[in-house]
Amino acid sequence: MLMSFKNLLKSAAVIILLCVSQLVMAQDRVISGKVIDSRDSTPVVGASVQPKGSKTGTATKSDGSFTLSVASNVTTLVISSIGYASQEVSIAGGVTSVEVSFVASGGNLNEVVVTGYGTARKRDLTGAVASVKAKDFNQGVITSPDQLLQNRVAGVEITNNSGQPGVATTIKVRGNNSIRAVNNPLYVIDGVPLDGRTARPSVTLAAFGSTPETNPLLYINPNDIAQIDVLKDASSAAIYGSRGANGVIVITTKRASGTGTQVDFGVSVGTNLGYMKKFEVLDASEFRTALKKYNQPTSLDKGATTDAMDEITQNKLSQNYSMSLTSGGENARFRASFLGSKTFGFLRNSALDRYLGAFGGSFKFMDKKLSIDFDVKTGNTVEEITNVSNTAGSQGNLVSSALSWNPTEPFKTSNGHYVVSGNGSGNPLAFSDAYSDIAKVTNLLATISAGYKLTNNLDYKFLFAINHGNGERNTNIDGWLGGFQGISGVGFGQKSFTTLTSQTFTHTLNYRANITEKLRLEALGGFEYWKTDYKGSNFSAQGFNTNLTEDTRIAIKYTDILRNGQTQLPPVTFVDPQIELQSYFARAILNYNDKFLVTATIRADGSSKFGENNKYGYFPSVAAKWNISNEDFMKNGGLFSNLAVRASWGITGNQEFPAGASQEQFGFFSYNSAGQVNVANPDLKWEETNSYNLGVDFGLFNGKLYGSIDYYNKNTTNLLFQSTAIQPAPASIYFINLPAHLTNKGLEVYVGATLIEKTDFSLDINLNYAHNKNLLSDFYGPGTTTPLQILTGQINGQGVSGTLAQIITNGVPVNEFNLKQFNGFDANGNQIVSANPGFAGDPNPHAIFGVGLNLRFKKFYLNANMGGASGFLIYNNTATNITNISGIIGGRNIDMAAYNSAEKPTSGATASTRFLEDGDYFKLRNASIRYEIGKVGKYFKNVTAFVSGTNLFVITKFTGFDPEVNIDKSQNNYPSRSIEYVPYPTPRAITFGLNFSL
Amino acid sequence: MIKNNIKYKVIALFLAWGVVGCTKLDENLNSTLTNQQTADALGASGTGLLLQTAYNDLATPFNDVEQLINLTGNASDESLVPTRGGDWDDNGKWRATHAHTWNADLAACLLTFNSLNKINFDATNVLAFNPTPQQAAEARFIRAYALYNLLDLFGQYPFRNPGDNLLNAPEVKTGAPAIDFIISELTAILPTVPAASANINFKANPDAVRMLLMRCYLNKGAFANRAAPTFADGDMQQVITLGNAIITSGRYSYTPNYFDNFTPDNQSKTKEAIWAYNNTSGVSAASLDVKSFWFRTLHYNSFDPKAPNAGWNGFSTVAEFYNSFGIAGTPAQTPDDTLLDQRIGGRFKPGITDFPGSGLRPGLLIGQQFDHLGNKKHYRNWVAADGANAKLLSFTPAIASNMIETTPGILETTGIRVMKYSPDFPQYDGAAGNDVLIFRYADVALMVAEAMMRKGTPDNAGALTLVNALRAARGAAALPSMTLNSTTNTYAPLTLLAERGREMYWEYVRRTDLIRFGVFTVAWPYKPADAAKNLVFPIPSQALAANPNLKQNSGY
Repeated sequence: MLMSFKNLLKSAAVIILLCVSQLVMAQDRVISGKVIDSRDSTPVVGASVQPKGSKTGTATKSDGSFTLSVASNVTTLVISSIGYASQEVSIAGGVTSVEVSFVASGGNLNEVVVTGYGTARKRDLTGAVASVKAKDFNQGVITSPDQLLQNRVAGVEITNNSGQPGVATTIKVRGNNSIRAVNNPLYVIDGVPLDGRTARPSVTLAAFGSTPETNPLLYINPNDIAQIDVLKDASSAAIYGSRGANGVIVITTKRASGTGTQVDFGVSVGTNLGYMKKFEVLDASEFRTALKKYNQPTSLDKGATTDAMDEITQNKLSQNYSMSLTSGGENARFRASFLGSKTFGFLRNSALDRYLGAFGGSFKFMDKKLSIDFDVKTGNTVEEITNVSNTAGSQGNLVSSALSWNPTEPFKTSNGHYVVSGNGSGNPLAFSDAYSDIAKVTNLLATISAGYKLTNNLDYKFLFAINHGNGERNTNIDGWLGGFQGISGVGFGQKSFTTLTSQTFTHTLNYRANITEKLRLEALGGFEYWKTDYKGSNFSAQGFNTNLTEDTRIAIKYTDILRNGQTQLPPVTFVDPQIELQSYFARAILNYNDKFLVTATIRADGSSKFGENNKYGYFPSVAAKWNISNEDFMKNGGLFSNLAVRASWGITGNQEFPAGASQEQFGFFSYNSAGQVNVANPDLKWEETNSYNLGVDFGLFNGKLYGSIDYYNKNTTNLLFQSTAIQPAPASIYFINLPAHLTNKGLEVYVGATLIEKTDFSLDINLNYAHNKNLLSDFYGPGTTTPLQILTGQINGQGVSGTLAQIITNGVPVNEFNLKQFNGFDANGNQIVSANPGFAGDPNPHAIFGVGLNLRFKKFYLNANMGGASGFLIYNNTATNITNISGIIGGRNIDMAAYNSAEKPTSGATASTRFLEDGDYFKLRNASIRYEIGKVGKYFKNVTAFVSGTNLFVITKFTGFDPEVNIDKSQNNYPSRSIEYVPYPTPRAITFGLNFSL
Repeated sequence: MIKNNIKYKVIALFLAWGVVGCTKLDENLNSTLTNQQTADALGASGTGLLLQTAYNDLATPFNDVEQLINLTGNASDESLVPTRGGDWDDNGKWRATHAHTWNADLAACLLTFNSLNKINFDATNVLAFNPTPQQAAEARFIRAYALYNLLDLFGQYPFRNPGDNLLNAPEVKTGAPAIDFIISELTAILPTVPAASANINFKANPDAVRMLLMRCYLNKGAFANRAAPTFADGDMQQVITLGNAIITSGRYSYTPNYFDNFTPDNQSKTKEAIWAYNNTSGVSAASLDVKSFWFRTLHYNSFDPKAPNAGWNGFSTVAEFYNSFGIAGTPAQTPDDTLLDQRIGGRFKPGITDFPGSGLRPGLLIGQQFDHLGNKKHYRNWVAADGANAKLLSFTPAIASNMIETTPGILETTGIRVMKYSPDFPQYDGAAGNDVLIFRYADVALMVAEAMMRKGTPDNAGALTLVNALRAARGAAALPSMTLNSTTNTYAPLTLLAERGREMYWEYVRRTDLIRFGVFTVAWPYKPADAAKNLVFPIPSQALAANPNLKQNSGY
């Protein structure tokens, strides 16, 4: 009866059981020993050590050691732990001391997977869930938890939106599921579903466009994470109902385990080593040649030799200090952790400082029937942001200034002032110097939960969590900066504030019972209430009296003296409608003899966002699994150590539309005015994804080769859509649900293999591959059969305003490129482009893949993680507008491709298929070499030194900075995909570190 | 079994909590209000706030270079935007507007349709909130103005009654009922709109109502049949009567210096503002954002302190328009004032021309440009160190025949520029203080003159007298004679159409004028003769898909 409980909470349960039953045992001798990880010789903490055939035993301490009294007749110990294949060790013949080397196995079927309001053993899992443990996380420069997973999970595409430290990532679980811009998966941290937004204020500057968003998980210390589970199919994600359609990423943080006290330290320093890949513009001598070639005045040769792209970068030393402390005994345990780091960005004046602290404890009372856990994670993050805006117009951003800087022009005049080029290209050094944008965010995620064991079969759990973020951002651009419209001579200052507060209340009841000897039931019922509030304000002014010349610079920021500006821009304050979610959910798992498993879930989600005619949505799912290898005919050895087939179906939802869209709203505007702001739709509801999943799990050669294959078919309907408002109307759009179909079909393969396993040498490798096909169909306007055409994908820069490069329409993948055809150059060197745009290819990768490599030689360990994507196109907006050939007329730099073409400088700037490039790439994301020194002196244990490289190389034909690119070029909140535009370049980085314990 | 009891109790408790914990999921809007809350919380003053929004809505169609100024200006013979190398291609949309090669996807059509309909909506919404008679009259005036523009541009307009369900497609008015409705609205509110006050009127007032009525009557025949406009004597008489009521009121006169109508301090200097949009220098709240009026045309280096960001270097006019002023030779734009007819510009204007770094002379900018000290301005590489090699900033009249400039050295400087509103230098790229004259007195006189020539028994002499009085005020020589227009040359100097061009250029009326005078589709510079379908713009595809009551204009 207790089996499943034990499996669910294995390591903790072992200790409890030990205490309960130790007294009744006859005790003859004491065995002591140590359990270590075979790969890195680190102690395995909390492993269960039991005499074979007994349910009692002990758990290893923080140094991996144990002592256990056993009856005289015991000859074998069974040692097991999450993440490792369990082992039997002989203690026959009076052995009193054993050392066990555990082999960590990706194919380990006893691993615990977190499934949402519960856990399951991997072998009991009926849905498609990918689980990544801490030991398999990516190494190197990691600023947010999602980076730990990049290339690790089949079917999960995680794209860094730029090279800026701490920047947001775009995460696609099994393809593009929505035509709405807010399309990331739901994050759940230790049972707390997050809002997904961040309290860092967004800033859009009139002169430069929108700036990139920050990662909402910056306050989570990557060292605190024990494992991350990705719920990919509907049967796993349906328990999260109306927020599950884009997949769910469940993050489980480390808890105190075992007894005793241990403190771990880590220190690392690192630096950037230059561009992972450079965007090729002309150097000074090439530029001089180009001036001659294009018959430009020699006055454009300013005589110097400069490299602006080098000048704007920095290679400062980043530092990272971390510490974690665990302490405790049977009934009370603590874990505390701290992280202090300063990560310098690759571009000057950009950095990310993080000061994170977490404190958690677990307590047991009333004969361990009552358990109380609390956890507080706090973080203070400071981002120093340089201007690399997404939608920069003709004035560009810092990167465009550098790319188009005349390479013969010095940055400073002989009297030390910054040169103003006068050709429309800003001085990148001056820009970097004059621009200051600092965002500080304080975050708190506090959770308290209580569990009570009502009967042996029934547990009750309560959880309350508050997640609060407070952000302040000060943006200043000094007025002495020459050559920028709206800035030069007047300056600009903006103070912005944002607050985001979410609360979660969850009650769950968990029931487990053996219905018959072979049939087990596990049932879960729950209620959850979740609400979130988001508000903010910003104040800005222009026309300051200070910092208007370089000679009179003072250290006072405009944002400190905001009222001094002659032009006070209207203050903006907003309080978003509160979002409330009230949900009931249930899950039942039937397990027949470990051979057949069936899981059924249902969630009823009520949301304040939904229209009054659709307050509740229902999200069912069902899944089944046949563990073929547990059948008698398979049990006797053979090729397969594991073979199972799975099938699931379910419905998940997406409710990412702006709160308030279902109600008629009146807003207050500046200058004593007010008016209706939206067209209300009381029928508005969630977007619904109906999906199937078929999977096979296998293990061969005694688990040395293992993996899984999944086929899925997802069909999203009731698409949330901004329909054209029927004029006359207060707004140009309103939200409706369209009965269109957005399908994603795909295949995922994950294979792991232990190729070599020797005492001094081991090698294992894992591969993941996912293929996805995305298609939008039946995409018609309300009540018509005319296909809708939504244009998105802003192309920015001079001469292309209003150009949109992508289309969301019937019969093509979401964000299909829609561009004029490029047909070469005419006799005058002008581009020939077709009159009208047409479909031009898919920006969504058809295949994504990853390769992980672990090599051990004695105490040296090499880990490498590689990956890439293929079958997609990238639009190079940088080449279209920033480094295009016409720039040379004014003495701006141009790119190599333009220079080598037949194009003449008088050719116009036009977006066309000319700038559409093959995006296929393969990247060595990180590689680390670690040396396990072990014990040093009396006190230092587990001493490890490592060196880790990040973004070491990329193989691609793409001419931009990084083919892994997704600059936010959304239009009216319709997302864009795979457009590059003067991005924050990706650096190659190296980190040296040392870890040890006391 | 005992255990089961406990279990059920707990489940019961748990469910009870769930029920108690239930919320109704009513959405709190927080910083916005529902319809009812708005009515309750604000009462009568709330209606005033809604009305102000309708007034503020005028800013977008006026300041967005892609909207009214584009559809009324670039689509006519007074303005075009050549593509200049890497600049102003923008997918060919500017060239399409001037060459009349647009289709139903022209973004400008959708933007303008939506922004005019937002005025339409916000003004209508005032009527749903218990307005005072005066507020209702103002709202109906603003709505009538939006509807007039929609009818003029698109040949039809959608119409909602206050409180209509916005998810339902509204009726569409077209043809005679469309113009008759606007006229009936204006006629009905004329006694109720507040009397004109002060020097300059920012609100609906009887003269503004009269002037919009004049436009309705004058264009009624053109709206009915744009390919062959006819002019009923009754309509023309209405124009004359309404116009004379404004003229004889004595409230208005010709501003002694034409460009004082458009300067940053025009609020105190203009004598011609019948209806204007108020802007306050340095106040961006509810500003019309007038800066686009000079940015769209001036060169990157036209104002030294802001170079190379002093302009967007786009909108230009053509030599033929310049020549319609009848000025012999090209003015030097030197400090000497030698020109007749103030309206062509080129004169030294204190406060504008002598502003440090400016040298700008309001009006049509042609030839070498000078700074405030009389030094020649350079383009690009404006840093003095560049010396002799720098190119001179000199605007040349000839534009490439396909409006795509590709010739090195001149692609930035072709085209005569039009700086009608002169910059508010301290707010050059900020919130400028020039009030925007939506209805101007000179147009009244010109409309009356036109009606005199078009009425049943034309009074050409009376029209000529009116026009020559205007010309005298502008410092231009009297016209010896004047016809309505030439059917082949829209710039023919001795025509009323040319006079309207000279007086009203870049003031949002030229397209309507060309249609009314029957010459919108004849060939003019950079546009061959074109099809009659272009006399109205297409209903934007998206609007058409949303409202089945809209019918696409024929030919699209």
